Amino acid sequence: MKKVAVIGIGQSLRGDDAAGLEAVRRWQEKFPETANRLEVRVEACELPGLALIDLLNDFDAAILVDAVQSAGNPGTIHRLDESDLASFASGSRSAHGWGVAETLHMRNQLTDVEVNIRIIGVEAEQMELGAELSRVVESAIPDLCRVIEEEIHALVQEK
Amino acid sequence: MKNIKVPALARVEGEGGLYIGLKNGKAVEIRLDIYEPPRFFEGFLRDRYLQEVPDITARICGICPVAYQMSAVYALENALGVKISPQVRALRRLMYCGEYIESHALHIYMLQAPDLLGKESVLEVAAEAPDVVKTALRLKKIGNELLKAIGGRSVHPVNVCVGGFYSWPDAKAIKALLPDMEWGLNAAIDTVKLALTLPYPDLEIDYEFVALHHTEEYGVIEGDVLSSNGRKLSISEYENSYIEEHVRHSNALHSRTVDNNTYLVGPLARLNLNHEQLMPRAKNSLQEFGIRLPVKNPYKSLIARSIELVHFYEEAIQLIKEYKPSGPAHLELKLKAGEGSGATEAPRGLLYHRYKIDARGMVQFAKITPPTAQNLPRIEADLFKLTPKIVSLPEAEATLIAEHLVRSYDPCISCATHFLKLKIAEK
Repeated sequence: MKKVAVIGIGQSLRGDDAAGLEAVRRWQEKFPETANRLEVRVEACELPGLALIDLLNDFDAAILVDAVQSAGNPGTIHRLDESDLASFASGSRSAHGWGVAETLHMRNQLTDVEVNIRIIGVEAEQMELGAELSRVVESAIPDLCRVIEEEIHALVQEK
Repeated sequence: MKNIKVPALARVEGEGGLYIGLKNGKAVEIRLDIYEPPRFFEGFLRDRYLQEVPDITARICGICPVAYQMSAVYALENALGVKISPQVRALRRLMYCGEYIESHALHIYMLQAPDLLGKESVLEVAAEAPDVVKTALRLKKIGNELLKAIGGRSVHPVNVCVGGFYSWPDAKAIKALLPDMEWGLNAAIDTVKLALTLPYPDLEIDYEFVALHHTEEYGVIEGDVLSSNGRKLSISEYENSYIEEHVRHSNALHSRTVDNNTYLVGPLARLNLNHEQLMPRAKNSLQEFGIRLPVKNPYKSLIARSIELVHFYEEAIQLIKEYKPSGPAHLELKLKAGEGSGATEAPRGLLYHRYKIDARGMVQFAKITPPTAQNLPRIEADLFKLTPKIVSLPEAEATLIAEHLVRSYDPCISCATHFLKLKIAEK
């Protein structure tokens, strides 16, 4: 059986950075039938860095849900695939700064094993330490749950 | 969706700025401007129940969460007068081996080696020498697997508590890691060989080295705080001799000794002070490859890390072979008001915690002194030494050498120092 991962990424103590983790948690609650399917596995990853490479190797497809900072309005939901990610690279040269974009780039350089990766990003408003989700991001969570559900159905049908 | 502009993914926040002010070609002012999240964590911990502390402090860093957990549990156990069992202690050391393995593999191959080789990033190395990067990732992964087997997940483990572990890890899962560990030990020895071939800038500094020292094992948990100038203190006396203070340009506190010296914590300090306690193959590597101690070149902390990589693979193998869980995984706590300090050796150096708790086990006060705060004044002092050597070089080249010096410390500011922008100003 092919395996699909739904991976929430973020830092739970840093404001809107927790949006990906929170969205995946609430999607699990709201859509238990999908979340409990045998081929679906749910993962919460706080600051996975390069460990994401190893995690992805276990799956045929993955949905990554993460907070995003771009020029968009807070709460905006971005649906991306890997080829869109080039524009999200941080340009960081610090090994501490391994974001999803750099990690997937590195993965592509090192392996031919294909994983169908979909990325759902939500535009963050603030990433202050200790703060809760901002109101605007909080109110985007139900839509995020719906998008996760749509994406997973699309992936399952594709296979 | 193809053209989203100037974006960055989450968690790439914060900048460290580097300013070198010159007068007649000499450095007169050097500032490393930094934003330091752990200060906020101290406030964040107040009025939390003590068992929440290891889970919260783990989130200070994605690379060294175990260090933050371990210093916290020791400090809180000291506050309660709890003495853990030898089995718990051994498992803590094994967990720490996992952290050192993943952190050092990441630092050596992904951060510092590309700098020394003049590569823009490890992505460039991956394009040219994918096998080297694959080896690096496997070395790192084995550390993460060990953390996962003990802590329940590979980043931010959730099995650590004050008094021990919530449950004993499955012995079968732990032992299953042995073949990978054996591979890792050999790959770590190859890493030492590789480390010795890298081009290191010429810079020797007479540091005061400070590290935990334990007479029977390579200092990581427990022991005394030892300085290369002969000062030896118990961990509970740490704050009598090492002082933190605010400096105007940094949100991070700066540490110094009571006699107003800067000092160095981290791999060079540990190796120079504690090489007698290294595991046999790590110790042999020093001799076999002709590594003379003390190593005083900050860039060569990479070599110290590679020796430690051998040590921690070796120690992990020994601890895995000896792993036999017995007795309770954690002690039942008897709550009481108290105060306690704890320190362990994070991969980047001594990490000190102190907590006051009330009779309900709620945190009233928390103090966390990370290795980076202790090393910041030292990094600035190193840059003073370095500046005359680089001042006549083209600005881009000078910037790079200075940046590399800062990054050789791997300042762990919760992933906050991404771009170091160097500004050289003639006054």
